[in-house]
Amino acid sequence: MAGQTGGKPARNGPPLLDGSTVFFVLLALGAGLAVLLLRGADAFNTALADGLGLLLLIMPIVVAAVLVGAYVQAMVPREAMERWLGGSSGMRGLLLATAAGSLTPGGPFAAFPLVLALYRSGAAVPVCVTYLTSWSVLGINRALVWELPLLGPEFTLTRLLVSLPLPLIAGLLTRGLLHRFSRTVT
Amino acid sequence: MISAYVTLAVLLLGLALWRQTQPDPGHRQIAAGGWRQMRPLLVRIPIALIAGSFLAMLVPRELVASSLGDGSGLQGILLATLLGAVMPGGPMITFPIALALISAGTGTAQMVTLITAWSVLALHRVIAFELPALGWRLTGIRLLACLILAPIAGLLAMLIGAART
Repeated sequence: MAGQTGGKPARNGPPLLDGSTVFFVLLALGAGLAVLLLRGADAFNTALADGLGLLLLIMPIVVAAVLVGAYVQAMVPREAMERWLGGSSGMRGLLLATAAGSLTPGGPFAAFPLVLALYRSGAAVPVCVTYLTSWSVLGINRALVWELPLLGPEFTLTRLLVSLPLPLIAGLLTRGLLHRFSRTVT
Repeated sequence: MISAYVTLAVLLLGLALWRQTQPDPGHRQIAAGGWRQMRPLLVRIPIALIAGSFLAMLVPRELVASSLGDGSGLQGILLATLLGAVMPGGPMITFPIALALISAGTGTAQMVTLITAWSVLALHRVIAFELPALGWRLTGIRLLACLILAPIAGLLAMLIGAART
């Protein structure tokens, strides 16, 4: 495993510093300044120490979570997911779409092109909606990397548990809506 | 926090052992892929955490506790749905804000609702990615079908909370 590097490349690191990261650096500085001015130096130090302490606790979790994500991606390649989603649009199709969505890693730039390709190649709309819903509420990658470390295991588990039926509900509602809007659906 | 370490260690060990039974990409290659995804997080997560702990100091606690706390009930769930839908940005912005809101007294059911609403409705994502990629028809149908998901999640979380006490 690569060792910890003390200094990171300050410029020309496209994956390291994008627009939203810069924005958030500014937000952090602004919030820090506001704490300093409104609540005083003690509060500023407490907040900074809290943040750094949490960071130490969290970093091992993030490293492990990213590795888990990398293994899952290696085990379930994109082609397998496309096969799962291209099939039936019945209950089985919706359940497969739920599974595929929760395993799809990465942000919207990964999920939406996949859905578009599926839609164009004839996947049913309820399957697409179920997949997108599952990707957004059951996405394992995001839950492990962001939610588990920041909000804790108990909260994360509760949220995932209550979210289990949501993709299916969205798919069935979509089917109903389509039926209502166009009588030509066969 | 201990349980998070244990959960992940077990998951990782299980996946590695499963991988061991198959011939394809080796552990080294998988770890290299993981490292590529790790790099941006090494910058983002520290910034997000520090911003989150500053924001937690600035959030008006009484207001949050009364409007989104455990006692806020259905009204809090509807408010959380609205807040989640208009929350801009990805996980790097949302989770630190969520952390700040939880430490200011937001209830579990209300936070489940907020995260779910942000996940399925995310208006900034609809405008930036979904409309251009999928068009009005598909996007409109999806949004209609997803409107009630966040309140459903919140109510289920409330039931779980009630069952545990």
